Amino acid sequence: MPIISDRVEIERKPKLGGGGPGKIPHRRGFGGGDDGDRGRPEDFRSRNQRMRRYRIGMALCLVSVTAVFVALTFLYVFRLGKGRYDEDAHRWVTDWITLKLPYLLLWTNSLVLLLSSATLELARRTMEKKEEFAAMGIVPPRMRRDLPWLGITLLLGFGFLAGQVVVWNTLRHQGVYLVSNPSRSYFYLLTGTHAVHLAGGLLALLYAAGGRFLALRFESQRIAVEVTSWYWHYLAFLWFGIFALVHFARG
Amino acid sequence: MPMLNQTPDPKAIRNDSDPSLRSGFQKARNLFSTDHKIIGRQYFFLSLAAVLVGAWLSLLMRIHLVWPKAIILFLGEIKPENYLAQLTMHGTLMVFFVLSTVPQAGFGTFFLPLQLGARNMAFPRLAAVGFWTALTSFLVLMAAFFVPGGAPGAGWTQYPPLSALASAGPGQGLGTDLWLVSIGLFCLSSLMSAAGFVATTVSHRAPGMTWMRMPLTCWSWFVTSILILLAFGILLAAVVLLMLDRHAGTSFFLPGGLLISGRAIAHSGGSPLLWQHLFWFFGHPEVYIAVLPAMGVTSHLLSVFARKPVFGYKAMVGATLAIGALGFMVWGHHMFVSGMNPYAGFAFSTLTTAIAVPSAIKTFNWVATLYGGRIRYATPLLFSAGFVSLFITGGLTGPILAQPALDTYLHDTYFVVAHFHLIMAMAGLFAIFSATHFWFPRMFGRMMNERLGRLHFWITLFGAYAIFVPMHLLGIAGHPRRYSDLSGVQYVAAMAPLQKFITLAAIVTIAGQLIFLANLFWSMRRGPAAETNPWECGTLEWTPASYATKEGPGEWRPQVNHGPYEYNVPGAENDFIMQDAPAS
Repeated sequence: MPIISDRVEIERKPKLGGGGPGKIPHRRGFGGGDDGDRGRPEDFRSRNQRMRRYRIGMALCLVSVTAVFVALTFLYVFRLGKGRYDEDAHRWVTDWITLKLPYLLLWTNSLVLLLSSATLELARRTMEKKEEFAAMGIVPPRMRRDLPWLGITLLLGFGFLAGQVVVWNTLRHQGVYLVSNPSRSYFYLLTGTHAVHLAGGLLALLYAAGGRFLALRFESQRIAVEVTSWYWHYLAFLWFGIFALVHFARG
Repeated sequence: MPMLNQTPDPKAIRNDSDPSLRSGFQKARNLFSTDHKIIGRQYFFLSLAAVLVGAWLSLLMRIHLVWPKAIILFLGEIKPENYLAQLTMHGTLMVFFVLSTVPQAGFGTFFLPLQLGARNMAFPRLAAVGFWTALTSFLVLMAAFFVPGGAPGAGWTQYPPLSALASAGPGQGLGTDLWLVSIGLFCLSSLMSAAGFVATTVSHRAPGMTWMRMPLTCWSWFVTSILILLAFGILLAAVVLLMLDRHAGTSFFLPGGLLISGRAIAHSGGSPLLWQHLFWFFGHPEVYIAVLPAMGVTSHLLSVFARKPVFGYKAMVGATLAIGALGFMVWGHHMFVSGMNPYAGFAFSTLTTAIAVPSAIKTFNWVATLYGGRIRYATPLLFSAGFVSLFITGGLTGPILAQPALDTYLHDTYFVVAHFHLIMAMAGLFAIFSATHFWFPRMFGRMMNERLGRLHFWITLFGAYAIFVPMHLLGIAGHPRRYSDLSGVQYVAAMAPLQKFITLAAIVTIAGQLIFLANLFWSMRRGPAAETNPWECGTLEWTPASYATKEGPGEWRPQVNHGPYEYNVPGAENDFIMQDAPAS
């Protein structure tokens, strides 16, 4: 096997048009497995190319996620406004019953989610630093001051999901069921859809964190953390959007 | 520049250039390949299976409409609920698994990377998972035929309350559940595939392949993918909501006070209109998801076979983008009679009519591309010209249906059936046929038979017009659609001879498709071996070097120096210039 430094290419933008698929040499010790990468050195082009296409993929994924949540928000507002003006009683008649939200729980969950977003960002930055070593073919040294940010994020992420389950259980014990009123249906729908999306993010983080066992290359691990962090921050943002919606537009 | 026009081994092309892939074990491995060429062909055969079932169902429906008491082999007499199930499944199969699968996911997965000069899609595994999800979705849908109660009968649009209540009809139980699961899976599959398309187009273009040097096929696949990303998520959300209404007891789409067989339902407060808004917010872009790739193929082929550059390339790109953008603002025109604020109706009507502008730009450019060209009358050209013809004929009734006043009368009549079958189904089908004939040598290494192709073309062209032009007349005369048997209704009975004519035309036309099938399968095995670039086309998928690419490593990295449609350039040696030819 030739020395690794031969294959490191100075990253630069291709002069014309877009680039080809970014291929990285396969290296023992850094694991293997990648999208169709057979690990031939002549395929090596640029590390950034590979990161770039995953970032584009994530941006597109976010477009679709946005479409879904925008649609659900429209439905919520539409359903909230449905009703009629009773001429005789001189008042607006609607079957929408305002939902009393468990604010303490919801704020706790929000805090947990916000924290997880912050720790994921720290994990991402740590990996970014380590990548310099990986590019030179050196196993990234363990930096003393680094906490296992990825693990902490996972814990917080699962904590948020558990917190959401607690919220749903609390509401259930108060007799607030999915079917009892549209305000309930929409609350469960919005929070549930968000939780399902978040669980997807957790799976991706688990994949990145289990990199050692999956024989994942550091490079792939870093990409997984990078694009999932975009997703994660976006879901945190969406969470506050949903929270604001069910708070301010509670009818 | 001397053109390298060799004759590669067709078997090598089908096995993706690797002789070692011919063994049984390797073939099995090929099945789950992440190579875009294999996935593209897999989508092609999936659609072929779907179109066979869909066409068979349409044949059954046409026979039933004319001879309601006819006994069909193995099926017996077609009952009204069977008719509705056939109608639903025909629409679902044709719209989802044929028209939005083969032009986009089929030919797109195969040719997008090749035309851009990339070795594979940006996310090959995602593309493979996308196909296997689509196949699962297809199998789930087919399973609906065999469950108790049979397939759903609420139409491919699945309007609630009919689709939301299991007790509402024979197919409304498990059949509808399977339909919803199938379409949910299909949404996921399309989203995965579309994300790969956009990422490939943005990041995998070869050096020199600027945006304005992309073939128009790539442009239309790109815009269509964006439409898919925005539209299919909405359908997925709607499907989940409908599932909740059916199984969790919510009332998103179900109003109160409904009686099913004399018993009141427990739901209340929902709105069936909500489903219509959600569905058509997906459903109208879906029309363009089906037809934009067809338009791209047509633009591409007309230029190749007229040996002329595409007339107004930039205008074509602009029109594609404009159609994509306007497509999201017009969903309300499907709902003029559902109850709508007249101002909203006016806005939808105006925007719908506005789509005629980019469509007319495209049509004008197609005709102008042909004008004065040295036309080569090959089968792909015939089908492309057929596309233009059908697109115009079907398109002219569009502005009519876009007027709320006229639509109130024509809604739910055969006029609408004729309109969308001509512009979407028949035009789309013609583009699929032309693309199949054109790219067959690249996909399977052999040529299709020209004589059979022409025969098939003329039968299909006359057949399409013979079936769908009379349907306009039925619609104007007030013949409603979706009814299984109207033989007792006096004013409809007067139209029986025309219905009979349509059915006969349909039988002949569908029988004519056997010519295509025979040609396809015969050519796949026994057709003459194709040259590298049989149509003398300038885009990258025909370069000899592109044949050598495989999944993963490959040396192919073309340097693009030319536009996609440089035909008959003065002073050039050949009448066309490959995109990767050295810059002059």
